[in-house]
Amino acid sequence: MYRIRIHGRGGQGIKMASRILGTALFRSGFTVQDAPKYGAERRGAPIFSTVRAARATGPGQAINERGIIHRPDLVVVADDTLLAVPAAGTLLGIDSGSVVLVNSHEKAATWRERLNLDATLLILPAGEEVEDRAELPHVGATCAGAAACLLGVIEPEALAAAIAEELAGLGEPVVEKNRTRALAAFTAMMDQRGVVREGTAIAAEGFTPPSWIELPFEDASISAPDIRAAANSVQVRTGLWRTLRPVIDYDHCGKCWWVCSTFCPDSAILVENGLPVIDYDHCKGCMVCVGVCPPHAIAGIPEYLAQAQDALETETGESNGPDTADR
Amino acid sequence: MSDARIKRMKDLPSTHLLGTGTPMCSGCGGLEALHEIYDVLGEKTVFVNAAGCMTLLSVYPFTPFRGSWLYTAMASAPAGAQGVRDALDILLEQGRIPPEDDLEVVVLTGDGSAYGMGMSATSGAMDRNLDFIYLCYDNEGYGNTGQQYSSATPHGAATSTSRGSRGYPGYKKDLFAVWAAHAPAYVATVIGSEPLDLARKIEKAKEIRGPRMIIALSPCPTGWDYDPKLSVEIGKLAVSTGVWPLKEYIDGKVTHTRLPHDRPPVEEYLKLQGRFAHLFEPARDEELLADIQARVDRYWENVTPA
Repeated sequence: MYRIRIHGRGGQGIKMASRILGTALFRSGFTVQDAPKYGAERRGAPIFSTVRAARATGPGQAINERGIIHRPDLVVVADDTLLAVPAAGTLLGIDSGSVVLVNSHEKAATWRERLNLDATLLILPAGEEVEDRAELPHVGATCAGAAACLLGVIEPEALAAAIAEELAGLGEPVVEKNRTRALAAFTAMMDQRGVVREGTAIAAEGFTPPSWIELPFEDASISAPDIRAAANSVQVRTGLWRTLRPVIDYDHCGKCWWVCSTFCPDSAILVENGLPVIDYDHCKGCMVCVGVCPPHAIAGIPEYLAQAQDALETETGESNGPDTADR
Repeated sequence: MSDARIKRMKDLPSTHLLGTGTPMCSGCGGLEALHEIYDVLGEKTVFVNAAGCMTLLSVYPFTPFRGSWLYTAMASAPAGAQGVRDALDILLEQGRIPPEDDLEVVVLTGDGSAYGMGMSATSGAMDRNLDFIYLCYDNEGYGNTGQQYSSATPHGAATSTSRGSRGYPGYKKDLFAVWAAHAPAYVATVIGSEPLDLARKIEKAKEIRGPRMIIALSPCPTGWDYDPKLSVEIGKLAVSTGVWPLKEYIDGKVTHTRLPHDRPPVEEYLKLQGRFAHLFEPARDEELLADIQARVDRYWENVTPA
């Protein structure tokens, strides 16, 4: 049985990627289960979806597992900035038999060194999707195409048919765009075709349940205490949702903080000494401030470039960047 | 009346009460309106929230609010507000809390609840002259569950339950008129992209007692299908094209707080949103565009300048 986990951000078509891959596997003769993670996360937030596929050769081939995949055979990471985010859980349960496919501008050697994983790490060269938000919804199909190739059991025709089936409701132009990207990604991975190995299915018979830790029943005041802190949602760092980073050029800032600070939907632009300061721990990167700034003093730059710049400046000791974490 | 009147953009609060770190979508027009409103209302506010997107604001153990928050079923937020108001009144009457600890009770619901399911409870609350503020963030559909159409969905908009070349066949319900027909203390329409108009209305509502009803049109990047950076631009176009009239009802009289002159064609507003893409692609639907424009024109023909 193949166990595949696809990680990305809300809005990148990650749920659709699992549906495309699931349908392509089904069309290739597999019994399939695919599902997105359900939660309150929104566009830009780390999310994942899963696909399980077993060879449907006879009775008893049903997939007995449910829920989150803890030991993946293939992990697809559609957005490489998620690798550094523990909450995204991209690296959960990876072992020497796993294949990790990362959609990135950087080289495989760089990520191998950074992550030091005992797994096969491959790169799907990132395209324009990362620069242009309008292209974001196509990331999912691109990743599904690359994953289909790595599995080695899906023919391009089955992949194309799966895309047509899953995206039919969105019209032929959308289907065509996604198909083109998926097939290009499939072709790009041909050197590694079939690199993913099937994990062994766990039989329902003889299955040992995990050793549960029994928690004693506690009084409600202990098990669900009152939260009396005001506005404690600041502890949730929604800044990691961001794919574009707004940066204020203070040389051109008109000091009209009441514009950007008021329009920011997330209250993430603070006012300090008459100047607006962006709280990057919470800014979700909507770019509303970029659009409303009267002197056009705020620019949106891709988050991965901004992070690379931060790292460089920290290394050379020039600046640590504005630290808003403890405000 | 308070002496700290908001007259210019510069007078808007520079500190924000609503906490960051909420799970609302990036670029949420509803959250933009809520944070602007909360800044004017102040900390002594208790929110009664019907099921909807904003239910997710307070997911245990986190909250962006500085006070209490009560969650009710979709149709029952005004009933919940009645209970909270009654409890506060009893505490005040018995001297168990000093008058300065009194709270403003604010109902927070989406359009699914305000325009549809919760209408009966709201009507009852106005009948009883309940002293509360009702804030409806109107993103013109059941956004939290995937943008199914609601009675606030505009004519022709594509939603997950109104697909096809004609979009939603119904017309957006005039909730302002429905609410004003109850003759409550105050009714107003606002939008986050016009923060000065919004702040003045909330300031006014704060000084009045009785049912004060606010509808905030809330551009929704996810449900309306546009890039989140356009939330303010789309909001401003909703006002300038005349789609979203900014007005208030007080003492039996409706006043428009903004009279858009030289209204740009409504399609300037429509064409930025994916939910109206079928009006322009593959071919322009002249008939439907003309119908939408004509309805906006007819509305403004009946508006007499104050």
